[in-house]
Amino acid sequence: MDSATAFGKVLSIIKPFVKNTAVFNEATDSTRIIEDLGVNSARLVDIILAFEDEFGIEVDDDSADKVRTLGDAVQMILQKTATAH
Amino acid sequence: MLSAGSRFWLRVQGLVSQIFVLLTYHSIEAWMRFRRYRILDHGRVRAEFAALVGDRRGPLLVCANHLTLIDSLIIQWALAPGWRLFVRPGWFFWNLPDKYNMSINLFVRLLGYFGKCVLVRRKGPPEEIRLALDQVAYLLGRGQSVLIFPEGGRSRVGRVDTENFMYGVGRMMQESPEARVICVFARGVGQRVYSNYPKAGEAFVVRMKQVTPTTTFKGMRADRDLATQIVHHLRDMEQEHFDHATPGR
Repeated sequence: MDSATAFGKVLSIIKPFVKNTAVFNEATDSTRIIEDLGVNSARLVDIILAFEDEFGIEVDDDSADKVRTLGDAVQMILQKTATAH
Repeated sequence: MLSAGSRFWLRVQGLVSQIFVLLTYHSIEAWMRFRRYRILDHGRVRAEFAALVGDRRGPLLVCANHLTLIDSLIIQWALAPGWRLFVRPGWFFWNLPDKYNMSINLFVRLLGYFGKCVLVRRKGPPEEIRLALDQVAYLLGRGQSVLIFPEGGRSRVGRVDTENFMYGVGRMMQESPEARVICVFARGVGQRVYSNYPKAGEAFVVRMKQVTPTTTFKGMRADRDLATQIVHHLRDMEQEHFDHATPGR
């Protein structure tokens, strides 16, 4: 899976939780999930679990804590999918 | 894992708070009486809590709904008299209030310290949340009791918020499986939506029950599952309250 595909899937997973749709429509790798997109911090766990289901990976607490931006999420997914397969 | 320094300062805070517990408790109680707050069936509420906890020592994780900034004070006052907290330190709950709300002036900061508060920055970075969870695990591991609000803040919908709640309580339960979990529903009869303080003269209904949530999941899924069960217990207790509410009481 390439990063563009992962990025698209990440966006589709995060979309229901986004409050700031204007920023979401212009999202880049450096877009911060909580601060910029307005995602409730409590829902970050739901997003991480959705990543697990979608990509067939397991995300530990430390890895989850490091996900601040969309780019962080994509990088984590690419690393874990590469390890898993 | 909590650092030795953090453990030491928590123990110091616990000791200092315990020494001054009667002064702290009765000062707050006097303020609440000045505001003409009262607990409905107060004697029964305290007897029920005493029966629920019994003579058994060990950690308690008290989970409550949240509508005002002083819910933790109301609940502590409702469940036990000051002398009980003096002779049974485990009944004097640690709290996790928002750091911002507890930093508005020196008096509130001191109240937070003597009131066994572990300050948490809501929506803070994961490291801070992790530290708070480690502190709770340490306290529960020492047989202390902790009062938390699983919703993570005052409910913006005026009822137990089953949509936007935090999963931290699930993590606490996983890290401290020995802790008994008691759900407490407390609400002012005239409280309609969330507020800073209940209105003067408010009467509070307090309900409680011990629960034993279990899960077959692990990790974050278990956090979510356990937290969901707790919030649903609180929702059910709230529903019971409204089903049995007596108009004009």
